[in-house]
Amino acid sequence: MRLELQGLTKKFGSFTADDDIDLVVEPGQIHAVLGENGAGKSTLMNMLYGILKPTSGKILIDGEPVEFSGPGDAIAAGIGMVHQHFKLVGPFSVADNVQLGREHTRAAGVLSARAARQAVRDVSEQYGLHLDPDAICEDLPVGVQQRIEIVKALSGPKTELLILDEPTAVLTPAEIRELLGIMRSLADSGTSILFISHKLKEVQAVADTVTVIRRGKVVAELEPSASETEMASAMVGREVALTVDKTPAEPGEPRLEVRDLTVVNDAGVKVLNGLDLTVHAGEIVGLAGIEGNGQTELARAVLGLLHPDRGSIAVDGVNVARLSPAARIDAGLGYIPEDRARDGVITEFTVAENLVLNQYRNEPYAKHGVTDAAAVRERAVDSIAEFDIRTQSPNEPVASLSGGNQQKVIIAREFSRPRRLLVAAQPTRGVDVGATEFIHSRLIAERDTGTGVLLISSELDEIYALADRIAVIYNGRIVGEVGPETPRESIGRLMVGAEAPEPDAQDAEASETPPTDAAPPETETSSTSTQDSATPDTEMPDAPTPDASGPDADEDDATNGGDRER
Amino acid sequence: MAVATAAIEPETRARRRHPKAGIAYVVLGIALAAAALAVVGPGRETTFALDRTIGDAQWTVPTRTTVTVLALLAALAGGWLLAGMRRGLYRLVSTIALAALVIGLITWAVARPGVVFPVEAVLAGSLFLSLPFIFGALSGVVCERSGVINIGIEGQFLMGAFAGVFVANIADNPYAGMLGAMIAGALSTMLLALLATKYQVNQVVVGVILNLLALGFTGFMYDQLKTTGGYNSPYGVASNALDGIGLGFLSGIPVVGPVLFDQNIFVYIGLFLVFAIWFALFHTRWGLRTRSVGEHPAAADSMGVNVNRLRFWNVTAAGLISGFGGAFFTIANSLAFNKNMTAGLGFVALAVMIVGRWNPLGALAGALIFGFTTQIADYLDAMGGSPVPGPFLQMLPYAVTLVVVAGLIGRAKAPAADGVPYNPGDQ
Repeated sequence: MRLELQGLTKKFGSFTADDDIDLVVEPGQIHAVLGENGAGKSTLMNMLYGILKPTSGKILIDGEPVEFSGPGDAIAAGIGMVHQHFKLVGPFSVADNVQLGREHTRAAGVLSARAARQAVRDVSEQYGLHLDPDAICEDLPVGVQQRIEIVKALSGPKTELLILDEPTAVLTPAEIRELLGIMRSLADSGTSILFISHKLKEVQAVADTVTVIRRGKVVAELEPSASETEMASAMVGREVALTVDKTPAEPGEPRLEVRDLTVVNDAGVKVLNGLDLTVHAGEIVGLAGIEGNGQTELARAVLGLLHPDRGSIAVDGVNVARLSPAARIDAGLGYIPEDRARDGVITEFTVAENLVLNQYRNEPYAKHGVTDAAAVRERAVDSIAEFDIRTQSPNEPVASLSGGNQQKVIIAREFSRPRRLLVAAQPTRGVDVGATEFIHSRLIAERDTGTGVLLISSELDEIYALADRIAVIYNGRIVGEVGPETPRESIGRLMVGAEAPEPDAQDAEASETPPTDAAPPETETSSTSTQDSATPDTEMPDAPTPDASGPDADEDDATNGGDRER
Repeated sequence: MAVATAAIEPETRARRRHPKAGIAYVVLGIALAAAALAVVGPGRETTFALDRTIGDAQWTVPTRTTVTVLALLAALAGGWLLAGMRRGLYRLVSTIALAALVIGLITWAVARPGVVFPVEAVLAGSLFLSLPFIFGALSGVVCERSGVINIGIEGQFLMGAFAGVFVANIADNPYAGMLGAMIAGALSTMLLALLATKYQVNQVVVGVILNLLALGFTGFMYDQLKTTGGYNSPYGVASNALDGIGLGFLSGIPVVGPVLFDQNIFVYIGLFLVFAIWFALFHTRWGLRTRSVGEHPAAADSMGVNVNRLRFWNVTAAGLISGFGGAFFTIANSLAFNKNMTAGLGFVALAVMIVGRWNPLGALAGALIFGFTTQIADYLDAMGGSPVPGPFLQMLPYAVTLVVVAGLIGRAKAPAADGVPYNPGDQ
């Protein structure tokens, strides 16, 4: 299918989300649309899929103009879409989700379970996407759920164009690599693909053509061979630094000491199993691991949202395991939660209110239990300027902000008061390049003021860019603590629970760090101070081992790895 | 290290303890046994009879021993729950425990010289009295499975009850009255459907208002008709619907006959609807789409299902069912309409729906429990001489609601998008 957009425009009131977009997707091509959050990518795709009606402009399929009054029309025209937020009915089986809207029926609308199952098997086999038609969707891992979405999109009457909206946002590195492979083979078999993303490496890896959108306008047409810096600059509209400047850490006394932490969930599974971890003042400890190995529970237990069944959590040497979250916050704990909409902001509240959520009871924001609106507002004006939060006013509800700006609200809130320890869980998830750059530099600055930072991230790139020490979590416990120059493949092996790869992969100074318990501060200091000089030598061997832990490993080692330390 | 941590204790998953329910049954069972031993004289006897079919088939049991044995059985089952058991057994065992307690209590309550407990009449009456719960809960299931909360069932009952009598009077035909009841129910839910889909008004508010509207409207009409006269005469249907089609002889089968083959047409329509709606929900295109719209409307929308249109028609169709349920109060009982004659049963039907976990078959089971307790309370009240005052007996069904919801059902999960208006614009 050849898809052409001519002057497609969408206005919401006075706001123009998409302005005069021209774009051509050739048959069998992977066409990437790059743009920051809020650039108008999703609006564009929703118009293409019939969810939104264009204000003006035309959509042409194989030269014929088409108009969609709903997704049903788009499906009938051969367009399939994989949404960023999966559109799967959780309690339904895979087969039921795939057949929804175009059910396999016998007489009188009675469903044929066998035909539905067979249809899923046929499509799975044809494209090599293995699925169990009888599995219940909500029980499946995210990667499999995405596979269901793809099979769903491909199961249309004649799907020839697939729209993938930020498909890698929730995937692990291994799942991302698998997805990119699937995309490639689909394109090779003739399916056109529109790939919406803001992740440069993935675009470079898989796209045939790249269109960059900024503030609703097409600003550049690039070849995938264009450099990351070029793409990022086009997206953001200015020069962006893709690497983080940082000096060696100067770790001080322990700020967070977690000992023998054990949490048993409702199903009786130990999600944390005797976990030990130490974070010192002035260092960033990166917690690497495949999602679902206890990271979420660790963060929630440290903040006090989850009560451990065993073990201790000490901040500055004081056991806080019995304290309420509020008391821990007052003791100097900062928290950037992984699920921003659920734990980070109250989306109906204004920007100003969200900025003081952790201090609203304290002077100067409240006097004698009454909120001082002027002080709250003043604080908001300051934070908005300092953290470059793009909002129309401090009184705007947070829900109206883009994801990146919502994250900046959280960062501003957590960083605008003295604190001893910061737990940052997936701090740049769903955040665009410009905001990521900003958040990363703030985290480093935070470390340099002497705060201990526990960085939990499922993106190894982020861990490598920021961490002074890397702890790998697997099955609810730390299976290794290594230096920042450890090759990706060693960490990748630890992440999947393969037995201790440290000795062969690691340098002498890194193996000084015992695998389970935290090292004494001196060891840390020596290990990190040598890092500066050791980096160029130890980094080089990484580059020729691209397949270590996912598709991003292919590209980023060359660009990110080399000049990470400036 | 990795291998060791990967192992999860299999024991916690295979066997489960149910301390709360277990303790409750142990305590209740032992208390009942102790009370029976202490209070009931050794000579007391209880007589059960197949009253409708084989009148002289009677069984007489020694009250004290029977009650004690049943109570201890309940306590034993409670002990088993305490000790832990395989996952699938929980419901079975707690049902046995509850049944043993209930039968034990009945055995005690009807142990009086000269009193014969009419097993068949009570069971047949239980099924009949469970009808309003069946119709109401089915209406609720259809609405809530499509994502619209319908707390207006009580109001739809009233509209149906009134319109049933009114139309039957005008047409001089009870079947026309049944049709009128359905249409009245559908018309009143159509308002809910419209406000919930097109205007996205809070569904609970609309439901409450509709209940009050129906109460006021039917009450006003009742007063008007009382003065006019001639429009509120009772109409009824044949007490055995199978007689008309030559199957009346089936009612002679012991136990099963009176319960299943000697009922009026409402019972058969109710049972048919339970299975029809169950089949439609889980085995047809309509059902798949309905459930998807109630769980994740955005997903359904993205697959070309018109969410609000489906919701509108489902809610309207649910009104047909609850309106028909309203006719139970008048036509099925051969009664004239009376102010507020539904007495809150529409709300109990909502509870039945939840007890039945939004499943028509579960709703049937829940409705039968309520029908049974209502029947028992009526029977004990009518028998007289009970040490418990009548109003307390009338509370029994509601007390049972609390016990059943808290103990047997636990946390029931509503459809995810239940009560959430869907606006295709916001993604």
